[in-house]
Amino acid sequence: MEDKNTELIIKNLHKSFGKNKVLNGINFKLTEGERVVILGPSGSGKSTFLRCINWMEEPTAGEMYFGGELVTEKNIRRIRRNIGMVFQHFNLISNMTVMENLMLAPMKLKLMKRNEAEKRVKDLLRHIGLLNKADAYPASLSGGQKQRVAIVRAMMLSPEVLLFDEPTSALDPESIGDVLSLIRELAERGMTIMIVTHEMSFAKEIATRIVFIDKGKIIEEGAPEEFFSHPKTERVKEFLKKVL
Amino acid sequence: MNDFFSKVVELFSTPEYIDSLLHGFLLTIQIAYFALLIGITLGTIIALVDVAKPSRWLVVPKFICRVYTTIIRGTPMALQLFIMFFIIFAIKGFPSIITAIIAFGLNSAAYTAEVVRGGILSVDAGQTEAGLALGLSRRTIFFKIVAPQAIKNIIPAMGNEIITVIKETAIVSMVGMYDLNMAAKDIGSGQNMASYIVPMFVAALFYLAIIYLITFAVKQVEKSLRKSDLRAEK
Repeated sequence: MEDKNTELIIKNLHKSFGKNKVLNGINFKLTEGERVVILGPSGSGKSTFLRCINWMEEPTAGEMYFGGELVTEKNIRRIRRNIGMVFQHFNLISNMTVMENLMLAPMKLKLMKRNEAEKRVKDLLRHIGLLNKADAYPASLSGGQKQRVAIVRAMMLSPEVLLFDEPTSALDPESIGDVLSLIRELAERGMTIMIVTHEMSFAKEIATRIVFIDKGKIIEEGAPEEFFSHPKTERVKEFLKKVL
Repeated sequence: MNDFFSKVVELFSTPEYIDSLLHGFLLTIQIAYFALLIGITLGTIIALVDVAKPSRWLVVPKFICRVYTTIIRGTPMALQLFIMFFIIFAIKGFPSIITAIIAFGLNSAAYTAEVVRGGILSVDAGQTEAGLALGLSRRTIFFKIVAPQAIKNIIPAMGNEIITVIKETAIVSMVGMYDLNMAAKDIGSGQNMASYIVPMFVAALFYLAIIYLITFAVKQVEKSLRKSDLRAEK
């Protein structure tokens, strides 16, 4: 049976866009405190897999259990509060200031009192060194600043799991470091994390498990040392030869 | 040239002519105003139905909206006006101003629908995704995130539609209504000034004045809505 530290169970997940089959039966289990890095060639379905977890893409078939509860169209909205997501293109709400972006979910979902939320926003912004940007609109921030605000926004509801969809792919090399160190810090605090990334050294450093996806299936998974130094499948060997 | 100026003096010194122009102008404004009210309301509803997430409840409404905009945009306004006057509202005693308002309102709705639809679709899908990922309802996402951003894209095109409707109302003279265009024609006719040039120019100035005013107002609204853009800070 499932132990109580299991966050997420995915059984036989399929996703198609029209006739295009992207995910072809993914089975996956996520345990509290794990940091899973999803690797794979482009077009392999790794982002789609991540986006299916909080139903940014509605799965075509398969079952998902979050905290032991079967995820359905009815309860997905409530479940999403426990799954933070950070996007490649930040997706800060452009008609709202940084402060308003961070206050949005706690206020609209009535999960915090205003002064309590404001205090939390200020503490978090101070922590990432962007308190002076509280009243700025996203358009006036740099990419790295936007992504750090986006990470803080995902943390506002204290989710159980954080999903990162290529969080540094749209950033300049200098900002990448800032964003990665913020993710690293969350990892050190024991956050359960899933990341799709192309930053191999970061993957090696942060992951407790690597999952390799190709053609919509998980082909290989394991601890990072094992995965990078003794890959089992030919496909992964070939992939690592190209990227390392 | 001397003749032109004497005609100008004649027009402005004859109270009946001024009165006719103002009456015509008032009718033009009334038709345009109420037609735009109908157009914007109905057009927004059509656009919302069109961009709403497909569901089986919306299959028929979506189909109706699409057919509606296709027919309205695919036929001349003048013809639509004639059909309204001589077929649908050909009831004796039905006030012609109401018929005209309905005709222009229904026409404007189809164009407004396209403007609003385009505005909503121009908002980056990532904005909606951010809201969904935070667990917000579609309703909250629409009103707090998508609509405020869509309006910025809608306002300039909407200003264009307002201007188009005001000018297009001039065709009501074809069904015998006394609008600004008709007033100019009437004042210039044989039994009055017997010269079209001055009244036509004055009528043109009336149209130009109101449209200039609207353009200015739309620019102001646009400016105030662009607060969150970098463009406004420069």
